[in-house]
Amino acid sequence: MPAGPLGVAGKRGNAEVLVGIDDTAERRGLHIGLGLAQARAMHPALDVVPEDAGADAGLLESIADWCLRYTPLVACDAPDGLLLDITGCTHLYNGEHALVADLAGRIERAGFAYRLAIAGTIGAAWAAAHYGKPESYASGEERAVLAPLPLGALRLPPATVAALARVGLKRIGDILPLPRAPLTARFGSDLMRQLDRALGAEHEPLSPRLPVAPYVTEERFAEPIGREEDVLGTIEKLAVRLAFVLERRGDGARRLELALFRTDGEVRRIAAGTSRPLRNPHDIRTLFSERLAALADALDPGFGFDMARLSVMVAEPAPPEQIGMGGAEDAIEIGRLADRLSARLGAQRVRRLIALDSHIPELAAATVPVQAAAKDDGWAAFCRHRTEAELPPRPLRLLMRPEPIEAVAEVPDGPPLRFKWRRAFHDVIAAEGPERIEGAWWSEHGGPARDYFRVEDKAGLRFWLFRAGLYRDFAPGSAPNWFLHGTYA
Amino acid sequence: MIEELRQRLQMMQKPAGLEDGPGALPLGIPAVDDALGGGLARGALHEVAAPGEAHLTAATGFVLGLASGGQARVCWIAEDMAKLESGAPYGPGLDTFSLAPERLLTVSVARPRDLLWAMEEALRCRAIGAVIGELRHGALDAVSVRRLSLAAADSGALALLLRAQPGSDASTAATRWIAGAAPSAARAFEFGAPRFAAHLTRNRRGPTGSWILEWSDTHERFVLTTPAVPVAAPPLDRPHRQTPSRHVA
Repeated sequence: MPAGPLGVAGKRGNAEVLVGIDDTAERRGLHIGLGLAQARAMHPALDVVPEDAGADAGLLESIADWCLRYTPLVACDAPDGLLLDITGCTHLYNGEHALVADLAGRIERAGFAYRLAIAGTIGAAWAAAHYGKPESYASGEERAVLAPLPLGALRLPPATVAALARVGLKRIGDILPLPRAPLTARFGSDLMRQLDRALGAEHEPLSPRLPVAPYVTEERFAEPIGREEDVLGTIEKLAVRLAFVLERRGDGARRLELALFRTDGEVRRIAAGTSRPLRNPHDIRTLFSERLAALADALDPGFGFDMARLSVMVAEPAPPEQIGMGGAEDAIEIGRLADRLSARLGAQRVRRLIALDSHIPELAAATVPVQAAAKDDGWAAFCRHRTEAELPPRPLRLLMRPEPIEAVAEVPDGPPLRFKWRRAFHDVIAAEGPERIEGAWWSEHGGPARDYFRVEDKAGLRFWLFRAGLYRDFAPGSAPNWFLHGTYA
Repeated sequence: MIEELRQRLQMMQKPAGLEDGPGALPLGIPAVDDALGGGLARGALHEVAAPGEAHLTAATGFVLGLASGGQARVCWIAEDMAKLESGAPYGPGLDTFSLAPERLLTVSVARPRDLLWAMEEALRCRAIGAVIGELRHGALDAVSVRRLSLAAADSGALALLLRAQPGSDASTAATRWIAGAAPSAARAFEFGAPRFAAHLTRNRRGPTGSWILEWSDTHERFVLTTPAVPVAAPPLDRPHRQTPSRHVA
């Protein structure tokens, strides 16, 4: 490979500038922020690559996902930083130093340059990583760590830093002894807030990139695994551990996520939903075996997975399982079936019917995914309403939207005698109706009232037709519009 | 005396229709039940085809009439295409055939292969009484049909394949029907109960036959409207000879 200097150029303001350079370029005196034209003039051999911000962000996110092996609380600090909250996680690695050593080793092997710092606050860690000695500092040392660092380490806008420099304030130590009120009055409240945050006087929340799961279990492998059976076996093993915790707290899983960490840093996440709170390890294994079978791209283990994590993303209270309770057992069986089908086909494809509170036929019934939160399906109320209102029978199949038909009626407001639907003529021999269904008059898009007729043709086929609009509303000479909305058996 | 009561108790505890293996589901019409050898075999695959696309809803009604017996859940699996072409099952209309809408689980699939897979899965579920697969067109391969038959035999559930047109392929289904609409006893402004021209074109357990059946809302089952005299099997190559109107009582 030619050892020529390499730079990445991007637009900042109106100028093309260097936004990233390699070691060779740095040694030759180039620096980030230098105009591209000037850099080319200095080193005609400079190899320039255009910036791809989207890919950079994607890479940062994938590194963030990979960092989930250390803690579930990982946040991206664009453009090139990551924040990890390792509170309570260090013991898994026998202390901070071992964790940092592990992280540094893996990051370096992956070919990234890095600066790492651990501190008691986000601000102090950020400052140390960007401007100070990248080391580990205990809580309470923030003041000493920050004092010698330039004010830019407080994550202030460049304008504020420049304004501070004009009055001779260059280091954080310079502003520490000063009275707060005049500083705030002159440089805005941001300065003091950033200082307080860095010192730990004010709490700074970390917003994790991914929601944090209420239940997590994980397994690390000395020898990477790759076969699907091994993955499934691991899932069941993890599920057994989850089941124990879930049962103690009286919870069940409604949404599960499996994260597989590949040795080369790729993280594969697979989610699976359930129709009812689940904690039976065998069911969880079955669920994921369907998900794995349905993956469009096969589970590519590369050189193997060295860690697997099973998290419950959404948990719900679940009563202790009862066995042999007739109806309840049926519901469990149906739930299992729905979960298997949803895992393979997608939750949106497995549905049940519900009745809605509407008199407009296409809005009176709907379908919802079986896995959606169980609510009253509304059929009891619908049946009561139907009996009270003496509604005529409804068609067996309803078209997605009413289809226009050409119809000839004997009397203008009567049923059609003959109509043409999908290129076939039907002679009506019997008709029932009209049943007038008002449009949604309260809405602009409600449409006109409809007069529905049930008709039977010569062959015995039965249809549900309607005429849109009341006859008296039609202008003389204009033909009413007829639609076919459903078919009866 | 006590022994007799015990036996009666045992009989009552057994779910109806499951006395002998998967058993049969009687339609309650002697002529049809005799031809079927006691009724529609449970734990077997039955194919119901509409004589043409236009009769699909009638065939759907026929299938629902067969599937709605009992209180178990019914699973309806259809391709995405079916919903667009012929409409989706409409909840408020389902109980015309005694199927309470809350008993229905609908599954839509993108490919015929998924449909067969989903049917097999649904048949394995003990809480499902009948599985309806709406496979409108396309040939069925013998292996999938065999798999479905086996899955049905294991569970004792009814497996029903609903087709938009009679298939020409050889099939291992226990029975094959061509069911379409027949003119009802409707008068000008009054509807009669839905009628079906049902042709049993293949029957592994007995003879074939043709009947005009009517769905009776009060009995919640089919009743016969043709005379109870056996009718010769319709010549399949001349379907016009079997014009259903001749049999209207």
